Amino acid sequence: MTIRISRLLLTGLVLLLSVAAPASAEVCAVDDTDREVCLAAPAQRIAALSPGATELVYAAGAGEKVVAVVAYSDYPPEAREVASVGSHTRLDLERLVTLRPDLVIGWVTGNPPEQLERLEALGLPVFYIEPRSFEGVSGAIERLAILADTEAEGERVAGEFRDGMAALAARYAEAAPVRVFYQVWDEPLMTINDDHLIGQVLRLCGGVNVFGALPRLVPRPGEEAVLAADPEAILAGGMGEENRDWLDHWAQYPQLTAVARDNLFFVPPSLIQRPTPRLLEGSRLFCEKLERARERRGALGS
Amino acid sequence: MTALIRPLGALALSALAALVLSVALGSVTLPPDKILAALGGQGEALSRTLILELRLPRSLAAFAVGGLLAVAGALMQVLLRNPLADPYVLGLSGGASVGALMAMLAGLGSVLVSGSAFVGALVSTLLVFGLAHGRGGWTPARLLLTGVVVAAGWGAVITLMLAVSPADRLPGMLYWLMGDLSYAGTPWPPLVLLAIVCLLAVPLGRNLNVLARGAMQAAALGVSVRRLEWGLYLAASALTAMAVTTAGSIGFVGLVVPHMLRLLLGNDQRLILPACALAGGTLLLLADTLARIMIAPEQLPVGVITALLGVPTFLYLLYRSQ
Amino acid sequence: MRRLEARELVIDVPGRPAGRALGVCVEPGQIWGVLGPNGAGKTTLLHTLAGLRAPRRGEVRLDGRPLAALKRRQVARQLGLIFQERHDGFPATVRETALIGRHPYLSPWQMEGAEELRLAEAALERLDIAHLAERLVSTLSGGERQRLAIATVLTQAPAIWLADEPTNHLDLHHQAGVMALLAQQAAEGCAVLMCLHDLNLAARWCSHLLLLYPDGEACWGPAEAMLVPEVLERLYGQRLATAWVDGAPVFVPVR
Repeated sequence: MTIRISRLLLTGLVLLLSVAAPASAEVCAVDDTDREVCLAAPAQRIAALSPGATELVYAAGAGEKVVAVVAYSDYPPEAREVASVGSHTRLDLERLVTLRPDLVIGWVTGNPPEQLERLEALGLPVFYIEPRSFEGVSGAIERLAILADTEAEGERVAGEFRDGMAALAARYAEAAPVRVFYQVWDEPLMTINDDHLIGQVLRLCGGVNVFGALPRLVPRPGEEAVLAADPEAILAGGMGEENRDWLDHWAQYPQLTAVARDNLFFVPPSLIQRPTPRLLEGSRLFCEKLERARERRGALGS
Repeated sequence: MTALIRPLGALALSALAALVLSVALGSVTLPPDKILAALGGQGEALSRTLILELRLPRSLAAFAVGGLLAVAGALMQVLLRNPLADPYVLGLSGGASVGALMAMLAGLGSVLVSGSAFVGALVSTLLVFGLAHGRGGWTPARLLLTGVVVAAGWGAVITLMLAVSPADRLPGMLYWLMGDLSYAGTPWPPLVLLAIVCLLAVPLGRNLNVLARGAMQAAALGVSVRRLEWGLYLAASALTAMAVTTAGSIGFVGLVVPHMLRLLLGNDQRLILPACALAGGTLLLLADTLARIMIAPEQLPVGVITALLGVPTFLYLLYRSQ
Repeated sequence: MRRLEARELVIDVPGRPAGRALGVCVEPGQIWGVLGPNGAGKTTLLHTLAGLRAPRRGEVRLDGRPLAALKRRQVARQLGLIFQERHDGFPATVRETALIGRHPYLSPWQMEGAEELRLAEAALERLDIAHLAERLVSTLSGGERQRLAIATVLTQAPAIWLADEPTNHLDLHHQAGVMALLAQQAAEGCAVLMCLHDLNLAARWCSHLLLLYPDGEACWGPAEAMLVPEVLERLYGQRLATAWVDGAPVFVPVR
């Protein structure tokens, strides 16, 4: 009797498993243009067509599967060893096709549309990512992990990112607002508005972007506009990861509040300008700098 | 007839050689046996993709665009009776650029960008024609002046668009303005147009020979000057519009190739027109091949290479002809 | 045989009021000379007769049919024009330029053949420039250019010759040669009309004269009737003394 029951259970279990398991190893995910991309099998050879995409694929745990990157894909360091297929604005399609990728990670606004259309015409699946929010970053990592069948790692990294950003949000929720100017580039002078990812980081840290209300995502105010806005703190990147020249430029205006209180803060651009897990590190830096600006406020009694 | 055959034959051979070179070379090295296999439709899928879907269409498009620009340049030079004319002198590439850039700003796909470029070219052609029409019809001088002014106007609009466009769109726009054969989709429309023009070379050519002597003289010899000039204007515009729509505004080919051929072959337009088609195509083929492979995987703008190849050649020919 | 007729023709000189209507008929065998001071409108008249300019009033008829109604190609086979001014846009050889004269006869796809080449060579020979056949036109002297223009029309072999100052730039020997050529054409049945600024050439060679006054007045008729000193003095605003040489009058300006 026990044998018959266990055999029944076994058969039942097998039946259950065969129904519950997917019919094939197909993986699907929705990209940032709201298209569903399905692969017959998890991706084994991934081409990442922007430095940000490269970082996200590595973060999703699929770093070993990356076969093609573009210029300036310098993080993580292993990515520098991967074959390059040109710049993100002009791809070398021959080289890319020769590397036989089975998944191409494209950048909606950064890659040339006609070249990506050509890739799709050749039968390569293209998955577009363009995170525009914190959830967009963690979501992208998770979706990439699904396509690469590295969900465990992807969920872990995404979770870490989410938790970190949530912690920051909680910590600075009640912080006193600090008027900030974030400088993206110096010639021409470029900044970001509130909708931009960096603008969202500023808000998270309790900052008020003096150019936040401008309609363009990357506005180009004149120097006079900055002087008129008189921000309390100026955060900037620079050419490369250590160059403070842009901040030193503002030192010639001692009447600026930011200059008077020495609230000129350098943030390495790659930590804040790429929609990747390193954004968490960049956000922490941002919040730290703004907190320092608040402290200096107290010290001077303003 | 033999006077035509020999130089055209030589040019056709060099065009063929350039085509072979262009298909054989690329940023990925393929051994000759694989290339031949792919051309025959056999061989591995990767080779077939590289040769039949990437290299061959691009090479054919490069040949067609180069030929179209050179022929358009030759026609413009006769129409305006001015050896400094090039296909863009009447503002046509400016209009096409404005159309293409507007489509890029709006985020449209590549087919719509090409379509907008074509519409822009048409608008510019009609604008110049309408403005240049004065009392007693248009003269070459009036047409040239109007064209130059309209071109300058488009240039200002382009600069404005570049200044206000979001930063991420700029590289794409700049590539289009510099001229780039990555945009070329299917090569058949420009090739067909080029073939049609070459077929018309003999009847068109002799009329042009007469027109080059002056409008009055041509009329006295039985040429319907007004109709011919109208036809030339439209033909040159159509050729240029097709070239620019396919590959952006590639400079230099339309100005210098007709000159070089005139230094070598004389002034019979029946010879010059098909020769321009072959030589212009060859020049652009070679330039595009170099642009693709010189610093692969990065790519150079093809307009720079055409100038680098063309300027010394032209100077050498000029020096030799003194 | 072709005749060119001007009916009630008023030429259009911009800015000038309409002149007298012309009713000239150029018949085969006749050599017409158009005389008048500078600015009288000689070149304008010639271009109007050739159909290159529209008249202000009236019409030109070729063999009874209005010129404006004929196709240009047809007209070019019968009417040849020697221009006063030339444009040299793009380089060409002397032979190529003469060959252009056959353009009205060749169908669009036809290339120049042996016959066309023969005609061109004969024309160059006749005008004494056959030795320059391979030279570029831009390297010719003024007189050689002039003779080439005439050779081109000779290659065209029209039935009606219109010439605008055909003896410009030519030395005496070639002047006489060109006038003799035109006379020979007329003798062979062509009709010739030419503008001349040299009164004496007209007196010697022309059978009929058309006098154009600067105020728009005009008179025309057989040469003997026109070559009256008073009339000519009024035309040129210059006193003239008449002499007779070789049976033809010679007019010399006097103070």
